[in-house]
Parts: sequence; structure tokens; C-alpha cells
Amino acid sequence: MPREDNPLMKLRLTDLSLRFPRTVLLLAALLTLLFAWQFPKVKFDNDPENMLSANEPVRVFHHEVKEKYALYDFVVVGIVNETDAEGIFTPATLTRIDQLTHELLSLRLAENGLPEVRDFSRGGQNPGGYRSIDLNPESSWQQALNVAFNHQPNRLFDEQGQSVIIGRELIAPSVVDNIKQADLGSLKLEYLMERAPTTLEEARIIRDDAMNNPLYAGTLVSEDEKAICLYIPIIKKTYSHNVANLVRNLTQDWPEEDEVYITGLPVAEDTFGIEMLVQMATSAPLAGLAIFILLLLFFRNLSLIIAPMVVAIVSVICTMGLLIGLGYDVHIMSSMIAIFLMPIAVADSVHILSEFYDTYPRFQDKRETIRYVIGHLFRPMLYTSLTTMAGFASLATTPIPPVQVFGLHVAFGVGLAWVLSMTLVPAYIMLLVPQKKLQKLTPREKKEIPAGGPLNRILENLGSFSTRRWRPIILLASALVAIAIFGISRIQVNDNPVKWFSPKHEIRVADRVLNSHFGGTYTAYLTLAETQPGICDCEANSNAMSIEVEQRFAEKYPAAVATFREKLAELKKRYGQISGPDVSRAFVELVELAEHLDSKTTALWGELADEINYLNPVGLNSRTLHERIAPLEEIPQEYKRILHEYVEPQSELEGEELLEAALEITDLYTADSFVDFVYEMQAELTAPLFKKPKILAYLAQLQAHLAGNPVVGKTSSAVDSLKKAAYELNYLEPPGGLSQSEQAAYQERNQSYNAIPETAAAVAQVFVQLEGMKKKDSLFHLITRNYQEANVWVQLTSGDNQDMAAVVKDMQVYMQENPPPTPMKIEWAGLTYLNVVWQDKMVKGMMTSLGSSFVVVLVMMMLLFRSVLFGLLAMLPLSFTITLSYGIIGLVGKEYDMPVAVLSALTLGLSVDFAIHFLERAREIQLKTGNWLETAKQMFKEPAMAISRNAIIIAIGFTPLLLAPLVPYQTVGFFLATIMGVSWLATLFILPALLTPLQKIAFRKPEDEA
Amino acid sequence: MKKILLLPLALLGLFLATAPLQAAGLTADEIVARANQASYYAGADGKADVTMTIKAADGGTRERQFTILRLNDGPEDQKFYVYFQAPADVRKMAFLVWKNADREDDRWLWLPALNLVKRIAPGDKRTSFVGSDFFYEDVSGRGIDEDTHSLVEETAETYLVRNEPKDPGSVEFAHYLVWIDKTDFLPRKAEYYNNQGNLYRRVEALRVENVNGHPTVMESQASDLKAGTSTINSFSNVSYDIGLNKRIFSERFLRRPPREVSQ
Repeated sequence: MPREDNPLMKLRLTDLSLRFPRTVLLLAALLTLLFAWQFPKVKFDNDPENMLSANEPVRVFHHEVKEKYALYDFVVVGIVNETDAEGIFTPATLTRIDQLTHELLSLRLAENGLPEVRDFSRGGQNPGGYRSIDLNPESSWQQALNVAFNHQPNRLFDEQGQSVIIGRELIAPSVVDNIKQADLGSLKLEYLMERAPTTLEEARIIRDDAMNNPLYAGTLVSEDEKAICLYIPIIKKTYSHNVANLVRNLTQDWPEEDEVYITGLPVAEDTFGIEMLVQMATSAPLAGLAIFILLLLFFRNLSLIIAPMVVAIVSVICTMGLLIGLGYDVHIMSSMIAIFLMPIAVADSVHILSEFYDTYPRFQDKRETIRYVIGHLFRPMLYTSLTTMAGFASLATTPIPPVQVFGLHVAFGVGLAWVLSMTLVPAYIMLLVPQKKLQKLTPREKKEIPAGGPLNRILENLGSFSTRRWRPIILLASALVAIAIFGISRIQVNDNPVKWFSPKHEIRVADRVLNSHFGGTYTAYLTLAETQPGICDCEANSNAMSIEVEQRFAEKYPAAVATFREKLAELKKRYGQISGPDVSRAFVELVELAEHLDSKTTALWGELADEINYLNPVGLNSRTLHERIAPLEEIPQEYKRILHEYVEPQSELEGEELLEAALEITDLYTADSFVDFVYEMQAELTAPLFKKPKILAYLAQLQAHLAGNPVVGKTSSAVDSLKKAAYELNYLEPPGGLSQSEQAAYQERNQSYNAIPETAAAVAQVFVQLEGMKKKDSLFHLITRNYQEANVWVQLTSGDNQDMAAVVKDMQVYMQENPPPTPMKIEWAGLTYLNVVWQDKMVKGMMTSLGSSFVVVLVMMMLLFRSVLFGLLAMLPLSFTITLSYGIIGLVGKEYDMPVAVLSALTLGLSVDFAIHFLERAREIQLKTGNWLETAKQMFKEPAMAISRNAIIIAIGFTPLLLAPLVPYQTVGFFLATIMGVSWLATLFILPALLTPLQKIAFRKPEDEA
Repeated sequence: MKKILLLPLALLGLFLATAPLQAAGLTADEIVARANQASYYAGADGKADVTMTIKAADGGTRERQFTILRLNDGPEDQKFYVYFQAPADVRKMAFLVWKNADREDDRWLWLPALNLVKRIAPGDKRTSFVGSDFFYEDVSGRGIDEDTHSLVEETAETYLVRNEPKDPGSVEFAHYLVWIDKTDFLPRKAEYYNNQGNLYRRVEALRVENVNGHPTVMESQASDLKAGTSTINSFSNVSYDIGLNKRIFSERFLRRPPREVSQ
């Protein structure tokens, strides 16, 4: 045995394992057991929102907005009827929707632990009572998965046993407010569908009411009349999958024409979380199986190939165990650990196996073969592992917590896989691979090797091609890089959690269908608030009042106006610089003064009016009126005379009509009330921001602009409610028998009230009506209770981050070009917007992480090869691979989304491996041969075989991922194949092609030493 | 019973003096009937100034001041006039309600800034009164025949009565409990339960005083336990038997508020 330091160090671990194989196996088993022990503690976190850390400002703001406006995450349930001529508005369909609504509202936890809902079925066991529901899947495989992932389909209740559906906030025709005209010009406040219709007429009334309400057309009911949406608010997003299932269960007996679609970001995200766990349990093992079969094909030795499988499984179990043991939730990212770790873990041991398999015939001894193989592979394997670890550990520099956790754990797993390859694989071969089997194989294989298998032959031909045709190869590679860079420049950074499902997935289908009928199932909130709330512009107020009082009263009461303006000037001096409670104090003083000013005139008219008002109209005529008024001493004779002169010419009037006439003249004088004037001014000047007509008009203008954006399907704000209520309050039913033009005039008159009322007081009084609707506080989803801030519910037909980002940008520009009357700040919230923010962070984070790990790996390579040139050469295949794969992404129009971003780390880790192996072995062989062409020839034997086997195993092994219903898994499958293919090409073509012209420089040092 | 106490205009009338003596052995229906009288029919008429404080889940409050006039019009019918004093932007806004025993109530609304009187069609009375946690029904009373009443418990001071709706589809509660004081028959607390058996709403009398011989709720609170909101009504200047003119309760007096409220 050579006793030099180097080999000893290299082989120390392996020698130990060869000496104590049983102990190694036992230790590995114990370790695995220890980590597997952590599994039951697993907690899953399906929420992409956690891509942002909990104290991320935008996330904090999002939750503030949700709290402030009592907004909840919605499960969006669309019911579409494309077949009936009446669309969705038939008694039968509406009845079903009504019943579904009440079933959802009645959801409760029965004593047997199952959910139950009110039973509406005529023939049901318990009409009017409750019926039990069990959402557990029938398939026992699904049940087993649910047990494994601790997913309880019937979990529809919080810890206190309360339904997770927030009934009072449910949005459905049966429980949303409707304000409409009723008999005798009265106004009716009720639910849109107070009860399910029994006739087509009733159904059409509901349709018309809904279509006439700007808050419902396009949101609750589709404008094409074919669909109705229910928005089911839930206490937490993580219940949405179960709630969606509940809805599916409740609607399973509906006829086919009433199609039920369920979507919304919460459902998409939660469902994705659950399906991803299923994928974790199916895709990863399937990939494992595929790898196993490929290994078997290559090595035809079952006992031998179990080794890499064991390494992969043990690394995955230990890594997941560590993650769970450390208390991290299994997140969308970490669920992919198995998928990422498996190829890397397998790669190391495939190198060993490949070499072992090819060299065993030479040694005919397991121990010696292993020592030989490990002696060769120690350095490249150590470095490939270190570089891969560096690649993944660099993810810890991203600002996204789940990605950090993911990166560090994969790095741990890669390190562990290396240790296992150095120890467990030798120990395993020593102990469990029977010598006999190897011997049986050997003669057969031995013959084949010189003859060369098909792969060998291809590789050897390639080898000579690479060295002879290095010029065209480099040219072609450069051309490819140029094309790829063009492709990269076209990469669209975009993500949409709904698109994480394959196009045929029911959520994608629902998304498409509902967004074609409605204003959009993606929600964002645009909030507006004053930049400097609570600052009173007292000077401006005082001036405004001064001008107004002059205009109204100067002609009739010049003295009073003068007094009033003096008071204003005095108040301005006293309170001008201060704000807050002083404002109301100033108004109190003004009211006192106004009362004094009124007392000599208007107040007396008021008293006269009161006297008249209280008169019993029965038997009242102008004579008796004067008899009643005459004795009133406090009323000046002058006033009585004015009244008399006004009433006298209309002596035919009696009773009520006479009272009206008398009050007409008093009204003329009581209108000149300074007190009323002061209160009116107070209402206008101190009105909160969103009671001011001009601010509301600006808000309406913003909405109009937003609606012009093609992605924005619909916006709703308090202005919409306000206009609708103002219209209904002021509505006058045209009397029967009018001509067409008269009717049109009525219509025009009524329509003119479909507007923001002209004064703050009028706005306030309409808003008070909305506060007292049947569904309490629904107004406050759109405006704060103090009317200082407002929220616009923006519905988008696309959840693509790009589209959302464009809307945000557009709004910014618009507000710059059209500044609001009062400085206001706008901020966005809502899940759709949140996704934009975390994706932005992710893209930027990935860039830096990729950049920094590139530098780290480059430095490592230079140190490893103790050569700048080799360091650069080693980076070449991975740079080529990354450029090419992202170039392909850009060219085929695939969007740069979360999985694609994370894959850059894997690319870096995997494709540097081949280069390391290639260059390390090339150097080693070059030392022996001293001739590059000869080296290249040898390189395309065993070393190229190992690289090729790896490439094929990983590329093909992960093709089962392409069948997964989740796009990120497909992406990983596709990417792995691409990475393997491209870096295989880069390593076996570009490296030798470059080394040919560079051989003098590249191998100078070793030659000099030799 | 269940008549809640928003309106302190409760009258005990004749029953008051003899109530404690006769209380023993009353049936649930009798208790409820007397509580209804005590809560909603005190005196021939009444007036009160109300400060309503509506508290949001986040603790923010909104305040409204209004004056209520009430007139008993026959054994069961009543008329109410609600006149807003503050804040300034709703000043002079007014509601008029005719509570009719034999048919739906009549309601009118006066919005001075819109110069508009609008009749409100009869509808669900268990809806928010001007955005507060009180219902219209809390203000004017719930028909005692709409529920079946049973006496759950009787202590030295209190009757505890359980009420179940005769038409469960018409109301949001599954049942409610009311604690009625044995001496004055004013309900002190009502608690509402939903179909999941959970308490979700509470209405309480926080302060009861004797005004002109009538035990009167001077402060009451309604809480929406699910939404986390609550409303307190504080009553002042309560008076009974002030001789209100019936004509006040008409559309004419919506446009031109009566002296009783405008001063």
C-alpha cells in the first residue's frame, strides 16, 4: 500500500469503512432512524405568502388593510349555465344557489366530529333538519396520503368548533343588500334574493336588480347573465381546499347544465400545497424508481445498484428529518428537497459505481477496486460536492425565508450524500455485494469492454471528433451562446400561482371560465389615504366662510355679516395655527354668535312657523289662521302682516293646503338662518376626506381610468354604493299614461341622481343609509369608519404578476399626471399584489445568489486546480448550460417564475460536476500520457462513460416529473433533462475542443514538473 | 319577551306598585308581557336624548346624538320620531316610525341635505339601526307572539326566560335568553345563540334609574360578539307624559322638526 500522505488522507474515510463495514452500515441505519423519528412532528405550510418574511412591510400592510376593511380570503365559487335561454336566472338554478348559500351558512360541527349542514332535500332523511357530510376521499390511497400528511378533509372548524366560513361576510345573492323601489314610492332594503324565486318573473326581477347594481354586475352576477359567483370568506387561507371540497360535495347532485367552478388565489395556493405533498409522495419515488431501472440497465447488477439508491434515500430522509426536527414547516420549496437531492446524491455514487464496474475486472478484488476508484474520485467528488453545496447555500442570501431554508438543507443533504458515498457505498459493497455475482458478471463484461458497448463506441468517436473539429465546435458553441443571450433578453419574468397547475387542472379550467364571465377572480386592493391626516387648514376654512357669508347674507343683513366676519377674523387669529379639537371649539363659538344674530329675525320667523305647523288643520281657513296668530306677542306685527298679505290672495285655501301656503312664506325667512349656515359650513369644511364630493369625484375618475386597463375587469368603491343609493333615494316613479318624451324626461331626471351628491352633508346622509343596510358594515369594506381612507376593490382577469405590476405602474403614472385635489398616498394590497412583491424579491435575490455562488465556485475551482485557466475552463460548461437553458426559456416563451428561478442553483451545482470530473481526470491521464490527443482518447473511455451514464440516468430518471399535474414539477423534470443534456455536451465537446488549442498552456505546468 | 331596552321610555304603569307581590307564580308568557310593557310602553309618551357610541372591532368609535320622541297610540301601536342632532353633517336628519300591532310598521326618512322625504318599505326589523349594533327591533320592540317563551330559572331577583322563534327562517338566532328583573320587570340582559349553539350577540342594560316613577334604562349596550363591534346608548333628559301632539309624527314634521327636538 502506498504510504504517501495524500492517498492516505483521501482514503482514510474509505479505509475505515472497508475495515468496519458493519459499523458503518449500523451507524447509517441509526442515523436514518434518528432523522426519520422526526417525521411525525411534520408541519406543512402551503402558503406562498410565506415566501415573504412575516415582518416584510408589504405583508404587514396587506394584513393591516385586511383588518382595517374587514377583508377576508375568498373561495370563489362560480355557477355557470350556458344552456338555458335564461342563463343562470331560472327558478331552479337560483333555488339551488339559494340552498347552497344556506347550507354553507348552516355548516356546523356535529357530535360525531363530522360536518353537517341544513338539509334542503325534499326527499332527504331529515328535511329542515341537518344532514351529515363526510369529505374523506373514498380511495384508500388518498386516505393513506391524507393520514401521512396530516390532512383532514373534514377540518372545517376552528379550535372552538366554529365554522371557518365567516357567514356574516358571505357574498351571495341570498345575503347581499339590495336597495330598490317598492310600492307607493317607497324604498326597500332587503337581500338581493330574499327568497328563491318560484316563477320566471321573480327570477327576472332578481336578474334586473343585480344588473342594476354596479357593485354586483360583473362581480356577483356576470353581465352576460350566464353565471353567478359566490365569494366565501374564510378565516384562514389554509382552509380553502377543504371549503372547495365541501362546495363540490354540496353541488355533486346538481344537473350538468349548472356547472360549478371553484377558483381564487387562496384555493389555488392551498390546493397546490396539498397536491404538492401528493407529488412529494408520488413523483419523487417514481423518479427514484426510474433511476433504479436505468441503473439496472447500465450495470445489470441488482445488489450493486442498490448502493446509490440507499445513498439517495438516506440523504433525503436525513435532510427532511433535519428540517422537521429543527422545527421548520415543509413549504412548497422544501417539498422539492427530495427531487433536488436525489439526482445529486445518485450522481456521486454513480461515478463510483461506474468506475467500480469498469475497473473491477482489472483488480478482481472488491477492496482493491474500491481503493483504486475512491483514490481517483476523491478529489473530484469532494469538489463537486463542495461546489454544489456552495450553489445551494448561496440561496441563503436571498431575502426569501423558505428559499433560504431550502438552500441550506439541500447543501446539508449534498454534504451528507458525499460522506455516504465515501463510507456507506464501500461498506455496502464489502458486505452485501457477493463476490460471486461480480465474478459472474466480469468475464462477460470483460469481453465487452474492449469490443466496446454501443455507448462506448459512440463516445470514442465523439472524442476524436471533439479534438479534430475543435474549430467548428467552438464556433457553433459561440453561435449558440449568442442565440441564447438573445433568448435571455426576451425572458419574461412572470408568475401566477394558478398557472402552477397544468392547463387541464380543474382550477385552471375554473380560472379560465370564470374570468371570461366575470370582472375577474384575482383581487387587489388599492387604498387611498390623506398624506397628512388631521391637519386642518383653518385659514382656508375661515376665508371660505367669510366669502360664503358675504354672498348669502350681505344684501339682507349687512350688519350681521360684518359682526360675523369680525368673529371669523378673531377666531382665525386665535386658532389659526392650531388644529384638532380647537376646530370644534371655534365652531361652538360661531354657533353661539349665530344664535344671537338669528334671535332678532330668523328665530322669530321660526317660532311663527312652529306655531303654524302645530295648528290643527281641521276647519282652518285664512280667517281662523289669523285669529290663532294674532295673540302671539313675541312675534313682531310686521311678520304677521307679511304672512297675512301672502295668504290673503289665496283665500280659497283651507286646512292642510293653507298650512302649506303659510309655511311657504315663513320658510323664505327661516332659510336665512346663521345657525344653519354655521352647521352647514362645519359639515362641509370639516368633512373627512371621503365625504368631500370633489375627492369622491377624483376616486371615481381613478376607477374609470383603472377600468380602461384591459386586465382590470371591474373596480368597486364606496362611490359606486353612494351613487346607487343616491339614485334610489331620489328616484321618482313616472306616473302612468305618460308620453314617451315625458317618460324620457323622468328617466333623465332620475339618472341625474345617479351621481355623487353635491355637498358633504348630502354625501354623509346617504352614507348613513348605507351604514344601516341589512348586511351590517358592508360599506366599511370600501371605506374606513371615519371616512378618512378608502379602498378600491380591483378585480383582475389575470393573476400574472406582470399584469398586476403593469396596473400598479399605470396607476402611478396616472396619479402623477392627474394629482388628486388633496395630497393622497395610494398603496396596494391583496394576494395578487403580494405575489408581485415576493416575486420581484425572488428574481433579484436569485440573481445575486447566482452571481455570488458563481464567484465562489470559480474561486474554488481555481484553488482546486491551482490554475486560473482550469478554474475558468471548469466554469465553462455550467456557464454554457445556464446561458443555454435560460436562453431556451426565453425563446420558447416560458416565463421566469419561482421554480425556474430556484433551478438556477441546481444548474450551477450539477453542471459544474461534469467539468470537474472531466478536467481532473484529464489532468491525471495527461500526467501519464503526456500527450493531449492520447489523453483525449482515454478520456472518452471510462471517464466519459461515467459522465454519460450520470447524464442519462438523471435526465431520463426525472421524466416521470413531466407527467405531474403541477407545472413546477414538470419544469424541474424538463430542466433536469436540459441541464444534463447541455452540460454533457458542453463537457464532452467544448472542453476537449478548447483544450486542443490550449493544450500547451493548459498542460504546461504538469509537463514542466514531469 | 325579549323586548330589548334600547328605549328607556319604559313604562311600568299600573303594574309597578304591585309587581313584586304578584310576581310569584307568573307564567313565562306573563313575565314576557310585563317586561314588554316595562321596556317599551312606560307613560303615555316620552322623550329622551341619546348619545350613541358605535365601537368598531379595532376600538375606533363613531358618535351620534339624537332625540327620540315616543307616543303610545292605543294599547299596542306606537309612534316614534328620531331626530339627529350631531354630527353636523347629519344634523336635522330624521326618522319616523309607526309601529303597528296588526300590520307591518310604517317608516319614513328625512334627509335635509337632499331635501328628501322617503318612505321605507317594511322589511326585516332585525337589521342595524343607523349602522349601530342595535336592531330596529331593539328600538321598537319585538312582537311577543313571535317567539315561544319558557321560564328556565327563577332566582330571588331574576327570571331567566328562554325564547324560541316560531318561524326560525325569519330570524338569525336559534334562541335567546333574557334575564328579567323581578322588581321592575326590565330585562337586564339578552343573549342570542346561533344554530351552532354559540353565543354571538348580547344586549345589556348597563344602568337603570327611576325617572318620573318609571324604571328606565339609562345606558344600554349591544354587542356583536362575532364581528367584535359594540354600541352603547346613553340616555339623558328622559321625561315621560309630556303631552306630545300626535301630529308631530307626520311627514310635515319631518321637514320641519317639532319644538320638542329642535331645542
